[in-house]
Amino acid sequence: MKKMIATLLSVLLIVSTLAACSTANDPGGDGTAPAGGTTASAETAGGETEDSRPAETTELTIWHDGDESLMQTIADTVNPMLADNGVSLTFEKRTGLSDQLKLYGGDAANGPDMYLWAHDSLGTFVAMEILAPLTDLVDESVWADDLPLTVEAGQIGGTQYLLPLYFETLLFLYNKDLWQGDIPSTTEELYAYMVANTDTSAGTYAVVNQHSTSYNVSPFINGFGGYILDAEGNPGLNDPRTIEAVEYNQKFAALEADGDYNTVTTLFNEGKAAAIIGGPWLVPGIRAAGIDLGVASLSDMTLPNGNPLAPFSGIQGIGVMKAAAETKGDAIALALEALASPEVGIALAEAGGCAPANSLSYEDPDVSSDEVIAAIKHTAETAQPMPNAAEMNVMWGPVDSMLAAVNRNGQDAATAAEEAQAAALQAIADMQ
Amino acid sequence: MFRRRAKPWCYCAPALILILIIIVFPIAYTGYISLTNMNLYHWQAYEVIGLDNYARALFKLDSGFMSALGTTLLWTVLNMVIQLVFGFLIALGLNAPKLKLRRLYKTLLMVPWAMPAYISILLWRVGMFNTELGLLNKWLTALGFEKIDFLASNGIAFVSCIALNLWMALPFMISTIDGALQSIDRSLYESAQLDGAGFWTQAWKITIPSIRPVVAPAAVMTTFITFKQFDIIYLLTQQRGYMTGATLNTVITYVHQNAFASNNYGLSSAVSMLLFVIIIIFSFLTNRSLREG
Repeated sequence: MKKMIATLLSVLLIVSTLAACSTANDPGGDGTAPAGGTTASAETAGGETEDSRPAETTELTIWHDGDESLMQTIADTVNPMLADNGVSLTFEKRTGLSDQLKLYGGDAANGPDMYLWAHDSLGTFVAMEILAPLTDLVDESVWADDLPLTVEAGQIGGTQYLLPLYFETLLFLYNKDLWQGDIPSTTEELYAYMVANTDTSAGTYAVVNQHSTSYNVSPFINGFGGYILDAEGNPGLNDPRTIEAVEYNQKFAALEADGDYNTVTTLFNEGKAAAIIGGPWLVPGIRAAGIDLGVASLSDMTLPNGNPLAPFSGIQGIGVMKAAAETKGDAIALALEALASPEVGIALAEAGGCAPANSLSYEDPDVSSDEVIAAIKHTAETAQPMPNAAEMNVMWGPVDSMLAAVNRNGQDAATAAEEAQAAALQAIADMQ
Repeated sequence: MFRRRAKPWCYCAPALILILIIIVFPIAYTGYISLTNMNLYHWQAYEVIGLDNYARALFKLDSGFMSALGTTLLWTVLNMVIQLVFGFLIALGLNAPKLKLRRLYKTLLMVPWAMPAYISILLWRVGMFNTELGLLNKWLTALGFEKIDFLASNGIAFVSCIALNLWMALPFMISTIDGALQSIDRSLYESAQLDGAGFWTQAWKITIPSIRPVVAPAAVMTTFITFKQFDIIYLLTQQRGYMTGATLNTVITYVHQNAFASNNYGLSSAVSMLLFVIIIIFSFLTNRSLREG
C-alpha cells in the first residue's frame, strides 16, 4: 500500500511539474481582464448604455511603464470617444517595459497591441521589426497638428512609428525665496552667481544639476554644436565641440554637489540649493515640499558662443505592434485618431502638468496659462529630441562614464572622450 | 530486477525533471543561442552561425578582462579572508561563557543579512557614502575635515565596496561558525585547560579542526558568491544615471558592460558559456583542494 502511494505521488509530482511548465496564453493579462491594469470602461466613462454600442467590443491593450494615474487619464478621455465604435483601450503597467517588449513584442498571443514609452527606444524596436509604421493604419493628417519636434522624434528613416502624446525637457527651476535677483541670461553670469552663492563645505548651493548624466549635460553639448549620436548612428563623443562642452560643464559641476539624482533633488527640496536643472517630473515633489517655485526656460540662457542652451527632449508616444496591426488594424486606427486629439493633450496637461504634443491643446486657457508647460513649450524652440537610432541603446553608458570620469574623478576631458568614443564604437559593433 | 532498479529513479524523477527544466535546459539553451546570430537585427529570424560568437567572445578576454579578473581575484580573496577571520572572532565572542544578552546580539547581527541586497546597497550609497547626505561625510565635516567622495576613484571605491560586502555577508559566516562552535564537545576544552593549553592553542588545536567540516562548505559557497558578485559594484559605482567615475570592474560587471548591454544575445551567450566553463574549472579545483585538505 505504501509503495503504491509513493509511486502515485511520484507520478502526480511529475505530471504537475510538467503541467506547470506548459505554455500559458496569458503572461499577466490578455487584455480582457488585466490584473492591476488601468481600465476605463466605455460604459462608466462615457455614461452611455450597453444598447447603443456594437455587440462586440475590441479590447486594445497598451503596455506602459509610466505613471498609472496619467494612463487612467488617457483611458478616461479616449474610451468615450471610441465607445460607439466598439473599441476599448486598456493600459497595463509593465516594469522594465523595454525588456518586456523584447520578449513579447512580436508575440501576437501574449504581447500588447500598442505601447506607450519614450521615443529614444524607438530605433531598437524598429530594428527588431516588431513595430508597424503608423501610415499603414492612419493618414499623416492624424499628427498634422503636433509640434514638429515631437513628430520628428517618432520617425526612423522618415517613417512614422510613434504617435506623440506629450513631451518633456529640462527646465531651470528655482526657489523664489532663495534666488536673488533676475535669472541670468548667459551661462557666464550664471557661473558668477554660482561662485558667489555656493558653499560646498556647508552644503549650500546656488544651482544643482545631475552634472554627470548625459541627459542633463545635453544643453551644453547641443549648445556647443557637439553630439552624442548623429542621424547615421555614429557616436560623436570625441568631436572637438563635444569635448569643449564637457570641459565647459566641468566648472559648473564642481559647484553642483555630486550630481546624484537623490542628492540634488533632496538639496533643492530641503532649501539647500536655490535652483535645480531638472524636468517637469520634479515639480510635484517640489510643490509638496512647500517651495515657492519659479520656472525659467534654458533656451533663454546663452553660452559664450552665443548659442542658447539646447537640452534634449523626451517624447512619450504610442507605438503599434506589427502583429496587432495585422489583426486589429481598424480598431487601432480608430484608437490612434482618438489618442491624437487635442482633448488628450489637455487632459494630460491638467492631470499631470504634461506638455501636449498637439499644438491645438495649447489653445485651451488652462494649458496655455500653466507656467511649467509654457516653459517646456518655449524650450522646444531650441530643444533637440534625444537620438532615437537603435545605437542610442548602448550610448548612455559610455557618455555617462565619460562625464563621471571628468567631473568626479578629475580625468582630462579629451582623454576621457577618446576612451568613451572607443567604448561606444565597440558597443555599437557588438550590437551587430 | 528491473522494478527494483527503476523504483529509485521513479522516486527521484520529479526532482530530476525539475532540475532538468530549471537548471539544465537554460544552460543548454544558452549554449544553443551562443551558436546563433540572435541580436537586435536578427531578433526573430536568427540562424546558426557556428563558433563565430566564441571567436568574438575570446577577443573580449582582452587586457580589460584580465584586469577585471585580477580585481575579481583580489576582491574574492580579501573578502573571504576578512569574512573568515572576523566571522570566527565574532562567533567566538558570541560564545564566550559569561556573555549576557547573546541572543539579542545574534538577532541584531542577522539584520543586514535579512535585508534585501538592493535596499542595503542603496541605503549605503546614499546614507553612508554620499558626499552631502552620507553619515561618513557628516562626521568628517563635523570634525573639520574635507568631504570625501567615497566612490569616485578606484582605490577608495574598492574599499567602500568591501566594507559593504562585509556588512552584508558577515552574518552568514558568523551564524555558520556559531552553529559549528555549538557542536564542539566542551569536555575537549576542559581537558586542554587541564593540560595547560591557552586560548590560542585551544583555538588552533581544537576549535578550528572541529568546525572545519562545517565551515569549509560554507566558505566554498561564499567564495563563489563573492567571485560572481555583481550587484554591489554595479549599483554603487556603475548604475545608469549614478556613475561615480570609478572604473572598477569584476569579471561579471566587465562582461555585463561589454556584452550584455549590446542586446547581442548570441555574443552574450557565448561569453556566458565561457564564464560557465571558467567557474566549473574553478569549482573542480576548489572541491579537489577541499578533499585533499
